[in-house]
This record gives sequence, structure tokens and C-alpha cells, in this order.
Amino acid sequence: MEFAHEQAGDVVIVRLAGRLDSGAAHSAEDGFNGVLGGGTPRLAIDMTKLDYISSAGLRVLLVVAKKVQQAKGKVALFGLSPNVGEVFSVSGFDTIFSIVPDSAAAVAAVR
Amino acid sequence: MLSFVEEITLLLLDDTQGRFVDLPLSASDVVVAGAALMDLALADRIDSDLKELTVVDTKPTGDDILDDALGRIAQPGQELTVSAAVEGLAAYAEGYKEKALQRLVAHKILREENGRFLWVFPTRRYPVIDDTEQREVKARLRQVLLTDEIPDPRDVVLICLIDACNLLGLVLTPDEIKQTTARVEQLSKMDLIGQAVTRAVSEIRFIVKHATSPIF
Repeated sequence: MEFAHEQAGDVVIVRLAGRLDSGAAHSAEDGFNGVLGGGTPRLAIDMTKLDYISSAGLRVLLVVAKKVQQAKGKVALFGLSPNVGEVFSVSGFDTIFSIVPDSAAAVAAVR
Repeated sequence: MLSFVEEITLLLLDDTQGRFVDLPLSASDVVVAGAALMDLALADRIDSDLKELTVVDTKPTGDDILDDALGRIAQPGQELTVSAAVEGLAAYAEGYKEKALQRLVAHKILREENGRFLWVFPTRRYPVIDDTEQREVKARLRQVLLTDEIPDPRDVVLICLIDACNLLGLVLTPDEIKQTTARVEQLSKMDLIGQAVTRAVSEIRFIVKHATSPIF
């Protein structure tokens, strides 16, 4: 899995690519810990190139959502592929994350 | 920290009686099997998606219950759905529950009491002697269930297991249970293994209910 991030004003855009499964969970956790350093996080997660997510990947995102909530920040996801979207729907993760169509909407949602 | 198998075994005990709460035996076996799988998932030994469960690391965990479970599902070439893994391990859950009880006694959370029913039949009870763990878990789960707080993955697993056993009454009052139906449903869906456990227990309840209903 690839983890990259860039700053867009006060928002961090994280780009995930490949498979977010048990093999990638720890490096993804480390990546998110790096961008959730301090202050009030505003996070837009680009899932456009994320092909697959497993239970382990969902747990990583759940922990991110919890940390963001505790720090009174905001997080939004965008670009979910149909199969990743199905996992979010079946697991109810679509009820705890703000899921929007594109980068501009995600940045607006977390500002 | 207790494992999920120990945690659910403890919660399945009626702390006033020291005996297991009324639940079809096969349902409690499914829940304990699910708890073992959830322990293995959080120990990075298995992973799952909407279709299948995959063993990703066969290295022993050092926990004899989990290592037994891991050995049984890690057969070479075995492709498993989550439901099949839960149902397969349920056959061994009685032994896991027994081991968990002995560990809880060793941790001085429970006490083992042997007695006789009608002076003849041997009986065994496990009264709780230290309820710190139970009180902490219940307080944490109440907080998650009664607010919009995002749960951590351990809380999600425990809510799934408790909901599958129909034991929300251990954590919430009857009025709170009515008020939190949607919240419980939301949280119980969040673990894919938990979903399989809930489905299996519902099927068992359905079978038990219809097997004991009068025909006419």
C-alpha cells in the first residue's frame, strides 16, 4: 500500500493506494500518526486509488476517526471505488465518516 | 487486559448466581468461537473481508486458546468464509470456555465453588470476587452506546458479542435499550466477524424457538 500526504492550507490530504489490509495496517497507522501530530486535525482522505480494504484496514480508519474526534477535528473521505464503498456500506462505516465525491468537496467538508 | 474469550466468558456468567446466563448452548459456543477469532484478528493472525477469512500469520500467539483456534483454521489450502470459521471453531468452544474460566480463577476474578445438587449431583459455580474489570468494561460500553463517541475496535467487538448474546441488559437499562436500538445496530455491524457471529446466533435462536413451539 502507498501512503502519501500533502498540505492544502489547513487541511492535510492523505492519498491511499493499493490494498489496505493486515499487511499494510501498521504502516498506514504510522502514516496517520505522523499527520495527526497535534492541534485540530482537518483530514481529507483520497481513496481513489485504494483497490481493497479488509477488516484490518477498517480498524485503522476507525482509530483515525476516533483520534480526530477526540482532537475535535474533522475527517472526510472521497473517491471510494465501488468495492471499497460496498465494504463501507455493509460495515456501517459510511455512517461514521463523511463520504463525498471529490477532493474539493472533502476539503470544504473539513474546513 | 483480558482476551475477548475471557471477557465474554466473564460476561456470560450471571454474577449473582455464578452460573452461565440462559442462552442456548450452541449460541454461547458460537459467541466464544467468534471471540477467539476476534482475538486472532486483533493479534494480526487473521484478516477478513466480505467474502473470506484469511490466515495471514501462523506464528503462535502464546495464548493456548488462540493457538488452538489458529491451528484449526490454518490448515494448508483451506479457504474459509468467516461464517464457516465461526461455526467450525464452535465445536471446540466448550473447551475454550473451560480454559477461560480457569484463567479467570487464576487472575482472582472468579472463585470456583464445588457443591452438590440434591446431595447427589456435582455442581460448580463461579462467583465473581473482583468485579473491577466488569465494571470498567460496562462503563466504557455505556459511554460508547449512549453518546456519539466513535468506539475503538475493542469496544466494537464487545458490543457485537454482547448484542449477539442478547445481553445488552448487563450494560443498559430497559429504557436505554429501547432508545439505543439504532446505535447498537450501527456499532454491531462494524466488525465483519461480529456480523457472522450475530447471524449464526440468530439462526440458532430461530431453530430453538421453532423446535420448541407447539405444532398446533
